[in-house]
Amino acid sequence: MTTFRSPVALAAVLAALFAFAPLAAARDQLHLYNWNNYIAPETIKRFEGTCQCEVVQTYYSDNEELLAKLAAGAKGYDVLVPTSNAVQALIRGGQLKPLDKTALPNLKNVDPAYLNTPFDPNNQYSVPYAMSTTIIGYNDEKMKELGLPTDTWAVIFDPKYLEKVKGRVTVLDSANELFAAALKYLGYSANDVDPKHWDEAAAVIKKAKPYWAAFNASSYIKELTVGNIWLVHGYSNDIFQANLDAQAAGRKFHILQGVPKEGAVLAVDNMVIHKSAPRPDLALRFINFMLEGRNSAELTNLIGSGNPNADALKYIKPELTKLPAVFPPKELQAKLEQLKDVTVTQRRLRSKLWTEIKASK
Amino acid sequence: MRRRSPWLWATALFAYAFLYVPLLIVVVYSFNDSRLNAEWVGFTLDWYRKLAADDDMLAAAGNSLLIAVTASAVSTVLGTMAGVAMHRYKLTVLPVLVLTPIAIPEILMGVSLLIFFVLLNFTLGLVSVALAHIAFCIGFVAIVVRARLAGMDETLTEAARDCGASPANAFRYVTLPLIMPGVIAGALMAFTLSIDDFVITFFTAGAGTVTLPLQIYSMIKIAVTPEVNAVSTLLMLLTLLLIVVAAKLSPTLLRSDRET
Repeated sequence: MTTFRSPVALAAVLAALFAFAPLAAARDQLHLYNWNNYIAPETIKRFEGTCQCEVVQTYYSDNEELLAKLAAGAKGYDVLVPTSNAVQALIRGGQLKPLDKTALPNLKNVDPAYLNTPFDPNNQYSVPYAMSTTIIGYNDEKMKELGLPTDTWAVIFDPKYLEKVKGRVTVLDSANELFAAALKYLGYSANDVDPKHWDEAAAVIKKAKPYWAAFNASSYIKELTVGNIWLVHGYSNDIFQANLDAQAAGRKFHILQGVPKEGAVLAVDNMVIHKSAPRPDLALRFINFMLEGRNSAELTNLIGSGNPNADALKYIKPELTKLPAVFPPKELQAKLEQLKDVTVTQRRLRSKLWTEIKASK
Repeated sequence: MRRRSPWLWATALFAYAFLYVPLLIVVVYSFNDSRLNAEWVGFTLDWYRKLAADDDMLAAAGNSLLIAVTASAVSTVLGTMAGVAMHRYKLTVLPVLVLTPIAIPEILMGVSLLIFFVLLNFTLGLVSVALAHIAFCIGFVAIVVRARLAGMDETLTEAARDCGASPANAFRYVTLPLIMPGVIAGALMAFTLSIDDFVITFFTAGAGTVTLPLQIYSMIKIAVTPEVNAVSTLLMLLTLLLIVVAAKLSPTLLRSDRET
């Protein structure tokens, strides 16, 4: 029966490999459920050194993924990093553990402008981690050549400007982001839910659509860097990345960030502790650690994310501190809005408008 | 030998190009000296060096392989048994049970498996992912094996029994070798399905369990670097190696029946 020997050996090896997994878990572990590339490797190393533990990361790429998985009952995560409206959904679903503020002395480092928001009054469950704004990204050489403004949504929506850059513009393929930008352009709040205002916004978008090259939420970084696209409605972190890539590839132009004077959407990601966290003690230590200016700054230095930590400023690379998307100045802060969840009826209406927009010529 | 028409050659060439050129591009661009990977910049082995130092990515690839090997091994055994049973007996419940996971939308299967594991208080991890993969692979193996059995000459098994072979021996020495190409095809299919599954894995993976598709998918938001090409190239080489070894071990496994 020689042929039976190999399957048995295979089974033994596999069983041994599976058995190995829990063996490795003997050391203290902190399970961090995070966005990919959303913490600097040196920060993790330093935390592992101070806590004598191991940080195990798992990644998600969308708040909805995280919500779906936790809603179905997944457990084992200590710290999660959801965006504010997802924090609200998690609180409503009873998924979070209240934070023991006495264990978070570094909370004082956070700019009060980002605390006590309607998403989590008094920060009972969450503290800000990092953020991004949805703004304009542009190719400095081309914009200068064409004499276009870069500090207003008009350049994305007004055919007067758009005809000069026809086919060189992309906008995010996201109904709530694009509607928010159009509402801001019209002078309304990004969270305006008046159906009349939505109709106006849809009309603005439809009028501008023929001039856009695409609705693009994934490859616009690349398109900007290569020079195919000159103007985008996109996330500040992505635009920062596009410029890094363009410089690394030795392009003559820069990809710069333009913050519209009408205001923009702000997305704040927050650290929260899951209710079934196996190690809430380590989770609190980790959160307090990440609220130290130096550790928070390392992420900004890595990906150009906005930083809600006032103490981080002195650790951030000088060329980054000037970017309005990293440390929005007071007068800009007042014009930035975090998106709230809409009701089911409102979402249905927006989907209908979005479909009409997508189908229009 | 009959001369084959140029059209046949052209079609074959086109089909092969369609299948293999994208793979070739992945391989070529894994040597590209550009983080962006939008255009060819220059040759480098940096991404392989980076990969060798990237514990996250290597752990993910290791997990993917471990799960795929386990899922294909177990589901091949169970799937073959199911295929034989479905062929030999007039069953009504088993075929439905075995084949449903093929038709059911992945997202449904993923969510229901997650809820099931949570109900059982089963710790999510490598084991839960492997179990989930086995569950959806069985059906595919069973289908392939049953198709193979349908084309088999039943009298051969009967002849073996007439000559005094026990049912087990008749299966082992006559039926199994005859359906082996189907079994191997089923195993390879299960392996492929398991190694690139995202949806079901996403739901059934626990904290800290990362497989290659999960890892790559989470990188899409930030831009996929040639490191992903590098790890894909290595996986392709490994798969190729497996197939070559399988073909060497038994030259007839991957070919159709010899002409009679």
